[in-house]
Amino acid sequence: MGQFAQFAINGLMSGAIYALIAIGIVSVFKATKVVNFAHGYLIMFGAYFYFTFSVVVPGQEWAPAWLASWQPDWLLAAKEGLPMFSPMGAVLDWVANLPRILFGLVGALFANAVVGLIIERTLMRPLMGQSIFAMIMVTVGLISIMSGSAQLIWTADAANVPYIAPNMPIRFELFGTMIFIFGTDLVNMVIALLLFGGIVAFVRFTKGGIAIRATAEDSSTAYSMGISVPKVFSRAWVLASTTGAIAGAILATRNGISPSLGLFGFSVLAIVLMGGLDSYIGVFIAAMSVGVMEAMTQWQLGGDWAEIVPYVAVLVVLIWRPHGLMGQKEVERI
Amino acid sequence: MKLNRRSFLASSAAATAVMGTPMILKAQPSEYVVASSLPLTGPFATAGQLVSPALKMFEAIVNEDGGIGGVPIRTTIEDSGYVPATALANYQRALATEPNMVMYYGDSTGFMKLVAPELKGDNATLMGSTSFASDLANPAENPYQYLPGPSYEDQVDILLQNIKDAGGSTVAFIFSNTEFGRDPIEHGKKKAEELGIKVVLEEATKAQGADIPTHVTKLAQSGAEHCILQGYVTGVWPQLIGGARQFGLPTQFHGTFWGMEKLIADRVTAEAGPFLDGYSGVMPYRYSYDQEEAPAYQRYAAFQKKAFAGTPLENYMPTWGLQSLVSLNLGIEALRRVANKGEEITADRAAEELAGIKDFDTGGFFGGPVSMVDNKIGTGRVYTYKADSGLFVPSSDWFTV
Amino acid sequence: MINANLKSTYAADERVLNNRYKQMFVYGMALLLAVFGAFANDYLILIACKMGLLLIAVVGINVLTGYTGLVSLGHAAFVAIGAYSVTIFQNVTAGFIPDPVMIFFAVPFAVFLAAFIGVIVGLPSLRVKGLYLAVATLAANFIVIFLIEQDLFAPWTGGMVGLTTNAPNIFGWILDSKREMFGLIALVGFVTLLMAQNLIRTRIGRAFIAIRDRDYSAEILGISLLKYKLMSFSISAAFCGLSGALFAYFYARILPEQFELDLSLELVAALIVGGMGRTMGPVFGVIIIVMVPEVIKITFGALTGDAAGMAQLRAPLQEIAFGALLVFFLLKEPLGINQIVDRMLRAANRWPFARG
Repeated sequence: MGQFAQFAINGLMSGAIYALIAIGIVSVFKATKVVNFAHGYLIMFGAYFYFTFSVVVPGQEWAPAWLASWQPDWLLAAKEGLPMFSPMGAVLDWVANLPRILFGLVGALFANAVVGLIIERTLMRPLMGQSIFAMIMVTVGLISIMSGSAQLIWTADAANVPYIAPNMPIRFELFGTMIFIFGTDLVNMVIALLLFGGIVAFVRFTKGGIAIRATAEDSSTAYSMGISVPKVFSRAWVLASTTGAIAGAILATRNGISPSLGLFGFSVLAIVLMGGLDSYIGVFIAAMSVGVMEAMTQWQLGGDWAEIVPYVAVLVVLIWRPHGLMGQKEVERI
Repeated sequence: MKLNRRSFLASSAAATAVMGTPMILKAQPSEYVVASSLPLTGPFATAGQLVSPALKMFEAIVNEDGGIGGVPIRTTIEDSGYVPATALANYQRALATEPNMVMYYGDSTGFMKLVAPELKGDNATLMGSTSFASDLANPAENPYQYLPGPSYEDQVDILLQNIKDAGGSTVAFIFSNTEFGRDPIEHGKKKAEELGIKVVLEEATKAQGADIPTHVTKLAQSGAEHCILQGYVTGVWPQLIGGARQFGLPTQFHGTFWGMEKLIADRVTAEAGPFLDGYSGVMPYRYSYDQEEAPAYQRYAAFQKKAFAGTPLENYMPTWGLQSLVSLNLGIEALRRVANKGEEITADRAAEELAGIKDFDTGGFFGGPVSMVDNKIGTGRVYTYKADSGLFVPSSDWFTV
Repeated sequence: MINANLKSTYAADERVLNNRYKQMFVYGMALLLAVFGAFANDYLILIACKMGLLLIAVVGINVLTGYTGLVSLGHAAFVAIGAYSVTIFQNVTAGFIPDPVMIFFAVPFAVFLAAFIGVIVGLPSLRVKGLYLAVATLAANFIVIFLIEQDLFAPWTGGMVGLTTNAPNIFGWILDSKREMFGLIALVGFVTLLMAQNLIRTRIGRAFIAIRDRDYSAEILGISLLKYKLMSFSISAAFCGLSGALFAYFYARILPEQFELDLSLELVAALIVGGMGRTMGPVFGVIIIVMVPEVIKITFGALTGDAAGMAQLRAPLQEIAFGALLVFFLLKEPLGINQIVDRMLRAANRWPFARG
């Protein structure tokens, strides 16, 4: 039972990150009707940008020393005499890294937003009104372009990046088993859930969100009502790329940085289809349940089985409900 | 045109060039080619990019010593991206375009197994590689491939023996879900059972981008005293150890050859603190800073100072580079032995000479003179990382398996 | 082509190659291939073999995507099934079937098995379409490769280590050189193309095209969606299985990772670049998809003179070129190279009158 709780918690924590990634795909689909197969690679770019602004830039000679490692007197005094891997030490390490973490996050947000806008303007806008097949395949082409570019820009593999939150261990006993949780994972989960909630609220209650929903309903009517549809498109891509940047930064701290981060996009795509492409709630349920199922598979069958959980889940759900758990049924005209 | 000897030769040469079927020349070629595939991109790019200058250095030094029987060598480097099929394509392309190729240097366990059945007749080439996969040391079935050290199975044996000697009773295997990672696991489980060590966890992870928190929790739940990591190069293993240390797990970590690189350990220490202190593992060679009575190391160091100034290679040769140098040295030694007997260099002859290498002085790579037994060299020693000095220091004697 | 289409009998109209341009082209190509096989150097033979293997699979994708309009991002799974089943069949029946005729049992077995599994994978296509089908097939690809890698099936599939296949033996003639294999691949590839050309002039082919153009309308016209969608899936899977079978013979060893998503995407990309729903589309597409990386490699090598430190830039460049080709054709020439070639031929045909 304790073991079960441990893996359920692990699963919820990775499910939250899936949900955060999924927002990007759903938002872009809602506004533009394009399903972005390359979203995982947008996340990879976010991770690499976070690496650039939190490790590479502070490491330069011209960068101020406090950016790389902030060492005020009180911090040094507090660190004095602490054992190496103490919880307090983890918090103090985090404080020392705070300037570069913030710089990294802000840098990643801006840089990724620019990348998103470039993609939207050069590749997606010419595709308006094309077939679904053409749109899918353009984003598939984008995968190769993005992963190749990432390898050109950031040639060898990248190093460790600082954790977003203090990484102190949390240990407690539950049902007679010791439960282990990384502090940073817990914070990551909270960040992911807050962002998810915030964006759902944004789409539901703000003017900009209503414009997105109106465009999703019928773009030409929305246009005639005075909504600037191109602006909605750009906004959706910026939303996707900035949430992607945060997800990328989180994944970079969890899984290390490599071009293989892009592969997350495929599992999340499966999750999104499983939940229903245009339903935030359905996608949230799907993300959380796949996260938990993955963790359970990991526990019972081992790491390699966990990799195919999203794919099996999406196949099962699609055969049972062709438009996902809560997706809107398309009405087709003959 | 008047047909004389010269114009006849010229036109027949042109004809062969056009037909594309190279004339088989018994005469000595103007150069021998040592072709290679290295992972210059992909998950193990760091390793490939550090090994490729070592190959160029090797070329220069062999040619200083008169090449192979007076014929200079030329190395070519292709990128495989650590994809076996790409490396195979590189090999096939080299076979088709380099008629004087005498040796090939491959880059992954997957590639070496993929190419093994193709090494027959005209397609055979002497082949070293970056892999220590146990299956490759099989002269009966495949005489052309060899290991420049002990196989992964041997390395795991050494580690398990070491754990046993230190009084350990439980062990966890964490490995990447690749051929490279899975290679010694079955054997390791059996060996552990023989030694009376309980295997409490077997965990496969992704080779890169692994889900560290989950794997660390599994390790924590298993309560293993020792953990053997296999199948990683630059990533995953430092993060796993870091995660375990942050949890305060007392587990001791052990690695095999590919997880024993000082550059990576130093980088991790600089960025995330000294948590690799005490990490130990098997290394078949001496580290390049251990230059006493090692003429080869001293020569390389002098060359590196000159040729690689300003790069990480200026004062240090990574373990991966050392492995490639050993592998290529053994191959060249075999080829030279064939050439010195005045025979034509063929893959079969080279393989025979290679298998006959006995008590060979490599100039300092190993603890002493070594012999090829079953196309591998079964010696190694355990090193432990010291975070304060940034050095791997020997924590056992040389032993032979 | 507007001339040479005068038909005086129904038989002439129903021929596979229904005008003399097509006939001349086919005979010319056959001759050219024979000459190429005899005289090209090893390197060109190697490249041509790769093109041939890819071509057969792309013809299969063309039946599904080009003619029937169903999207699949998982056809590498069928190539895998073809490759593995041929090898496993040979290993299992090694004692019962004599070697010289083995290939005549093993290859049809592989093709039928692939077709059968094609029907199973095609089942969701009755309920889901477009994007959902693309993701469902993609998921199927991941699952098939995963199953092949499992320890459970490792006694047959070899797990992650892969399997070794012997060179094909045709009545005692062992095709153990790449040049001999080229002969076999070229022959099969040629026949495959003719079969595809034949398919679209039959009732089945017309039903496929009707489904592509509007599936509900086709159903109203009396075309059974169930029957023809599954048939399309199984035919395309069979071609991919055939390609896989030859793949296993061509490479001495097969590994599961050779049949992952990359291959699926490459197949679809080749089809898009070449031209969907056209017989020659796969040919053009495969030539481009195989040649562009090679050309980049050669020019890059010549430009940088094999400098160390530059070689690592090549693979990313090749990858970018692949993506750029795909995007370029989708945005600028959605009908592919076939359309460009058609335009040029038409201009030549009408010269000196109207162009284009």
